[in-house]
Amino acid sequence: MSTARFDELIHAPTRLSLVSLLAATEWAEFRYLREQLGLSDSALSKQLATLEQAGYVEVRKSFVGKRPRTSVQLSRDGRRAFDGHVAALQQIVAQAGASVLP
Amino acid sequence: MEPTISPAAAAHALAEIQTRRDQAVTATLVPAWYWPAVGALMVAFTAAVESERPWLVTVGSIAYALGLTAVVLRVALRHRAQVRNRLLGVRGVAAIAGYVLCLVALGLVTGFTAESAGLGWPATVGAATTAGAMTATGQPLMRYLRAVMTARPVGGGR
Repeated sequence: MSTARFDELIHAPTRLSLVSLLAATEWAEFRYLREQLGLSDSALSKQLATLEQAGYVEVRKSFVGKRPRTSVQLSRDGRRAFDGHVAALQQIVAQAGASVLP
Repeated sequence: MEPTISPAAAAHALAEIQTRRDQAVTATLVPAWYWPAVGALMVAFTAAVESERPWLVTVGSIAYALGLTAVVLRVALRHRAQVRNRLLGVRGVAAIAGYVLCLVALGLVTGFTAESAGLGWPATVGAATTAGAMTATGQPLMRYLRAVMTARPVGGGR
Protein backbone atom coordinates (compact mmCIF):
# COMPACT_ATOMS: atom_id res chain seq x y z
CA MET A 1 0.00 0.00 0.00
CA SER A 2 1.11 3.60 -0.65
CA THR A 3 1.70 6.18 2.06
CA ALA A 4 -1.39 8.35 2.35
CA ARG A 5 -0.65 11.90 1.24
CA PHE A 6 -3.36 14.32 0.17
CA ASP A 7 -2.17 16.12 -2.97
CA GLU A 8 -3.74 19.53 -3.60
CA LEU A 9 -2.32 19.68 -7.12
CA ILE A 10 -3.98 16.42 -8.16
CA HIS A 11 -7.22 17.07 -6.29
CA ALA A 12 -8.34 20.04 -8.45
CA PRO A 13 -11.41 18.65 -10.31
CA THR A 14 -10.12 18.69 -13.91
CA ARG A 15 -6.68 17.45 -12.90
CA LEU A 16 -8.18 14.67 -10.78
CA SER A 17 -10.06 13.40 -13.86
CA LEU A 18 -6.98 13.79 -16.05
CA VAL A 19 -4.60 12.04 -13.66
CA SER A 20 -7.17 9.28 -13.02
CA LEU A 21 -7.34 8.55 -16.75
CA LEU A 22 -3.55 8.58 -17.03
CA ALA A 23 -3.21 6.33 -13.97
CA ALA A 24 -5.26 3.66 -15.76
CA THR A 25 -3.07 3.80 -18.86
CA GLU A 26 0.54 3.21 -19.82
CA TRP A 27 0.21 6.21 -22.15
CA ALA A 28 -2.57 8.19 -23.78
CA GLU A 29 -2.74 10.50 -26.78
CA PHE A 30 -3.48 14.18 -26.28
CA ARG A 31 -6.51 13.87 -28.58
CA TYR A 32 -7.89 10.96 -26.57
CA LEU A 33 -7.57 12.88 -23.30
CA ARG A 34 -9.17 15.97 -24.81
CA GLU A 35 -12.17 13.97 -26.04
CA GLN A 36 -12.63 11.92 -22.89
CA LEU A 37 -12.46 14.98 -20.65
CA GLY A 38 -14.37 17.32 -22.95
CA LEU A 39 -11.69 20.00 -22.79
CA SER A 40 -10.39 22.44 -25.36
CA ASP A 41 -6.81 22.10 -26.63
CA SER A 42 -5.69 25.10 -24.61
CA ALA A 43 -7.40 24.00 -21.41
CA LEU A 44 -5.82 20.55 -21.60
CA SER A 45 -2.41 22.00 -22.49
CA LYS A 46 -2.61 24.26 -19.45
CA GLN A 47 -3.42 21.37 -17.10
CA LEU A 48 -0.67 19.22 -18.61
CA ALA A 49 1.85 22.05 -18.26
CA THR A 50 1.01 22.35 -14.56
CA LEU A 51 1.43 18.61 -14.05
CA GLU A 52 4.61 18.56 -16.13
CA GLN A 53 6.14 21.36 -14.05
CA ALA A 54 5.44 19.31 -10.94
CA GLY A 55 7.15 16.34 -12.56
CA TYR A 56 3.93 14.30 -12.58
CA VAL A 57 3.61 13.71 -16.32
CA GLU A 58 5.88 13.25 -19.31
CA VAL A 59 4.75 14.65 -22.64
CA ARG A 60 6.25 13.20 -25.82
CA LYS A 61 5.84 14.56 -29.32
CA SER A 62 6.39 12.35 -32.33
CA PHE A 63 5.20 11.83 -35.89
CA VAL A 64 3.10 8.97 -37.28
CA GLY A 65 3.75 9.38 -41.00
CA LYS A 66 3.31 13.10 -41.52
CA ARG A 67 0.87 13.55 -38.66
CA PRO A 68 2.17 14.90 -35.35
CA ARG A 69 1.21 12.88 -32.31
CA THR A 70 1.46 13.97 -28.70
CA SER A 71 1.34 11.26 -26.08
CA VAL A 72 1.25 11.68 -22.34
CA GLN A 73 2.16 9.36 -19.51
CA LEU A 74 2.20 9.58 -15.77
CA SER A 75 5.76 9.71 -14.44
CA ARG A 76 6.96 7.55 -11.57
CA ASP A 77 6.58 10.55 -9.22
CA GLY A 78 3.13 11.22 -10.63
CA ARG A 79 2.03 7.64 -10.07
CA ARG A 80 3.39 7.71 -6.53
CA ALA A 81 1.60 10.98 -5.81
CA PHE A 82 -1.65 9.63 -7.28
CA ASP A 83 -1.45 6.42 -5.24
CA GLY A 84 -0.75 8.48 -2.10
CA HIS A 85 -3.68 10.76 -2.90
CA VAL A 86 -6.04 7.80 -3.36
CA ALA A 87 -4.84 6.34 -0.05
CA ALA A 88 -5.48 9.71 1.64
CA LEU A 89 -9.01 9.91 0.19
CA GLN A 90 -9.71 6.34 1.32
CA GLN A 91 -8.43 7.21 4.79
CA ILE A 92 -10.75 10.23 5.02
CA VAL A 93 -13.75 8.14 4.02
CA ALA A 94 -12.74 5.23 6.27
CA GLN A 95 -12.34 7.53 9.28
CA ALA A 96 -15.90 8.69 8.68
CA GLY A 97 -17.01 5.09 9.05
CA ALA A 98 -17.93 4.28 5.47
CA SER A 99 -16.42 1.53 3.35
CA VAL A 100 -14.32 2.76 0.44
CA LEU A 101 -13.79 -0.56 -1.26
CA PRO A 102 -15.46 -0.80 -4.66
CA MET B 1 -0.96 20.32 6.14
CA GLU B 2 -4.20 18.45 6.81
CA PRO B 3 -6.67 18.39 3.92
CA THR B 4 -9.86 20.27 4.51
CA ILE B 5 -12.24 18.15 2.49
CA SER B 6 -15.25 16.33 3.85
CA PRO B 7 -15.66 12.54 3.73
CA ALA B 8 -18.45 13.06 1.19
CA ALA B 9 -16.11 15.04 -1.08
CA ALA B 10 -13.43 12.36 -0.66
CA ALA B 11 -15.94 9.63 -1.58
CA HIS B 12 -17.03 11.69 -4.58
CA ALA B 13 -13.39 12.01 -5.69
CA LEU B 14 -12.89 8.25 -5.34
CA ALA B 15 -16.00 7.62 -7.44
CA GLU B 16 -14.63 9.97 -10.12
CA ILE B 17 -11.30 8.09 -10.11
CA GLN B 18 -13.15 4.79 -10.55
CA THR B 19 -15.31 6.20 -13.34
CA ARG B 20 -12.30 7.50 -15.26
CA ARG B 21 -10.53 4.16 -14.94
CA ASP B 22 -13.63 2.34 -16.28
CA GLN B 23 -13.67 4.85 -19.15
CA ALA B 24 -10.01 4.13 -19.99
CA VAL B 25 -10.52 0.36 -19.86
CA THR B 26 -13.67 0.44 -22.02
CA ALA B 27 -12.03 2.61 -24.67
CA THR B 28 -9.18 0.16 -25.19
CA LEU B 29 -11.18 -3.05 -25.67
CA VAL B 30 -11.33 -4.75 -29.08
CA PRO B 31 -14.49 -3.68 -31.01
CA ALA B 32 -17.32 -6.14 -31.71
CA TRP B 33 -16.74 -6.25 -35.50
CA TYR B 34 -13.19 -7.58 -34.99
CA TRP B 35 -14.27 -11.15 -34.18
CA PRO B 36 -16.48 -11.89 -37.21
CA ALA B 37 -13.99 -10.08 -39.45
CA VAL B 38 -11.06 -12.26 -38.35
CA GLY B 39 -13.30 -15.34 -38.44
CA ALA B 40 -14.40 -14.66 -42.01
CA LEU B 41 -10.82 -14.13 -43.15
CA MET B 42 -9.76 -17.35 -41.47
CA VAL B 43 -12.53 -19.38 -43.17
CA ALA B 44 -11.83 -17.85 -46.59
CA PHE B 45 -8.10 -18.55 -46.27
CA THR B 46 -8.61 -22.17 -45.13
CA ALA B 47 -11.10 -22.81 -47.95
CA ALA B 48 -8.67 -21.36 -50.49
CA VAL B 49 -5.85 -23.62 -49.26
CA GLU B 50 -8.14 -26.65 -49.11
CA SER B 51 -9.31 -26.09 -52.68
CA GLU B 52 -5.81 -27.19 -53.76
CA ARG B 53 -6.03 -24.91 -56.80
CA PRO B 54 -2.73 -23.05 -57.00
CA TRP B 55 -4.20 -19.77 -58.23
CA LEU B 56 -6.87 -19.83 -55.50
CA VAL B 57 -4.25 -20.62 -52.83
CA THR B 58 -2.20 -17.64 -54.05
CA VAL B 59 -5.15 -15.26 -54.19
CA GLY B 60 -6.47 -16.52 -50.84
CA SER B 61 -3.09 -16.14 -49.13
CA ILE B 62 -2.60 -12.59 -50.40
CA ALA B 63 -6.17 -11.60 -49.55
CA TYR B 64 -5.77 -13.10 -46.06
CA ALA B 65 -2.48 -11.27 -45.42
CA LEU B 66 -3.89 -7.96 -46.67
CA GLY B 67 -7.21 -8.40 -44.89
CA LEU B 68 -5.65 -9.32 -41.57
CA THR B 69 -3.21 -6.42 -41.83
CA ALA B 70 -6.10 -4.05 -42.51
CA VAL B 71 -8.13 -5.36 -39.56
CA VAL B 72 -5.20 -5.22 -37.13
CA LEU B 73 -4.16 -1.75 -38.35
CA ARG B 74 -7.74 -0.50 -38.01
CA VAL B 75 -7.84 -1.69 -34.39
CA ALA B 76 -4.32 -0.48 -33.60
CA LEU B 77 -4.89 3.00 -35.07
CA ARG B 78 -8.18 3.31 -33.23
CA HIS B 79 -6.35 2.76 -29.96
CA ARG B 80 -5.27 6.14 -28.71
CA ALA B 81 -4.41 4.94 -25.23
CA GLN B 82 -2.81 1.80 -23.86
CA VAL B 83 -4.53 0.47 -20.78
CA ARG B 84 -2.16 -0.33 -17.94
CA ASN B 85 -0.82 -3.89 -18.29
CA ARG B 86 -0.96 -4.46 -14.56
CA LEU B 87 -4.75 -4.11 -14.57
CA LEU B 88 -5.11 -7.34 -16.54
CA GLY B 89 -3.35 -9.39 -13.85
CA VAL B 90 -2.88 -13.16 -13.77
CA ARG B 91 -6.63 -13.85 -14.13
CA GLY B 92 -6.87 -11.77 -17.29
CA VAL B 93 -3.78 -13.31 -18.91
CA ALA B 94 -4.98 -16.82 -17.97
CA ALA B 95 -8.41 -16.08 -19.47
CA ILE B 96 -6.88 -14.95 -22.77
CA ALA B 97 -4.51 -17.96 -22.94
CA GLY B 98 -7.36 -20.35 -22.07
CA TYR B 99 -9.60 -18.75 -24.67
CA VAL B 100 -7.01 -19.15 -27.44
CA LEU B 101 -6.29 -22.75 -26.47
CA CYS B 102 -10.01 -23.60 -26.46
CA LEU B 103 -10.47 -22.08 -29.93
CA VAL B 104 -7.48 -23.99 -31.35
CA ALA B 105 -8.69 -27.24 -29.76
CA LEU B 106 -12.22 -26.69 -31.07
CA GLY B 107 -10.95 -26.11 -34.62
CA LEU B 108 -8.71 -29.19 -34.56
CA VAL B 109 -11.29 -31.52 -33.01
CA THR B 110 -14.01 -30.38 -35.43
CA GLY B 111 -11.69 -30.64 -38.41
CA PHE B 112 -10.45 -34.15 -37.58
CA THR B 113 -13.97 -35.28 -36.73
CA ALA B 114 -15.23 -34.00 -40.08
CA GLU B 115 -12.39 -35.80 -41.86
CA SER B 116 -13.00 -39.10 -40.08
CA ALA B 117 -16.71 -38.78 -40.89
CA GLY B 118 -15.81 -38.46 -44.56
CA LEU B 119 -17.10 -34.90 -44.94
CA GLY B 120 -15.66 -32.70 -47.69
CA TRP B 121 -13.55 -29.65 -46.78
CA PRO B 122 -12.82 -30.79 -43.21
CA ALA B 123 -10.30 -28.03 -42.43
CA THR B 124 -12.79 -25.41 -43.62
CA VAL B 125 -15.44 -26.98 -41.40
CA GLY B 126 -13.00 -26.71 -38.46
CA ALA B 127 -12.15 -23.08 -39.29
CA ALA B 128 -15.84 -22.20 -39.69
CA THR B 129 -16.60 -23.70 -36.28
CA THR B 130 -13.77 -21.71 -34.71
CA ALA B 131 -14.93 -18.55 -36.51
CA GLY B 132 -18.47 -19.07 -35.25
CA ALA B 133 -17.21 -19.60 -31.70
CA MET B 134 -15.05 -16.45 -31.94
CA THR B 135 -17.99 -14.41 -33.17
CA ALA B 136 -20.22 -15.73 -30.40
CA THR B 137 -17.71 -15.44 -27.56
CA GLY B 138 -15.41 -12.54 -28.50
CA GLN B 139 -17.55 -9.87 -26.86
CA PRO B 140 -18.29 -11.95 -23.74
CA LEU B 141 -14.50 -12.36 -23.37
CA MET B 142 -14.11 -8.57 -23.65
CA ARG B 143 -16.82 -8.08 -21.02
CA TYR B 144 -15.04 -10.54 -18.73
CA LEU B 145 -11.68 -8.80 -19.17
CA ARG B 146 -13.34 -5.45 -18.53
CA ALA B 147 -14.82 -6.82 -15.30
CA VAL B 148 -11.42 -8.19 -14.23
CA MET B 149 -9.68 -4.87 -14.89
CA THR B 150 -12.28 -2.64 -13.28
CA ALA B 151 -12.55 -4.87 -10.19
CA ARG B 152 -8.97 -4.18 -9.16
CA PRO B 153 -8.58 -1.66 -6.34
CA VAL B 154 -7.72 1.88 -7.42
CA GLY B 155 -4.43 3.49 -6.45
CA GLY B 156 -1.45 1.48 -5.21
CA GLY B 157 -3.58 -1.21 -3.55
CA ARG B 158 -3.23 -4.83 -4.79
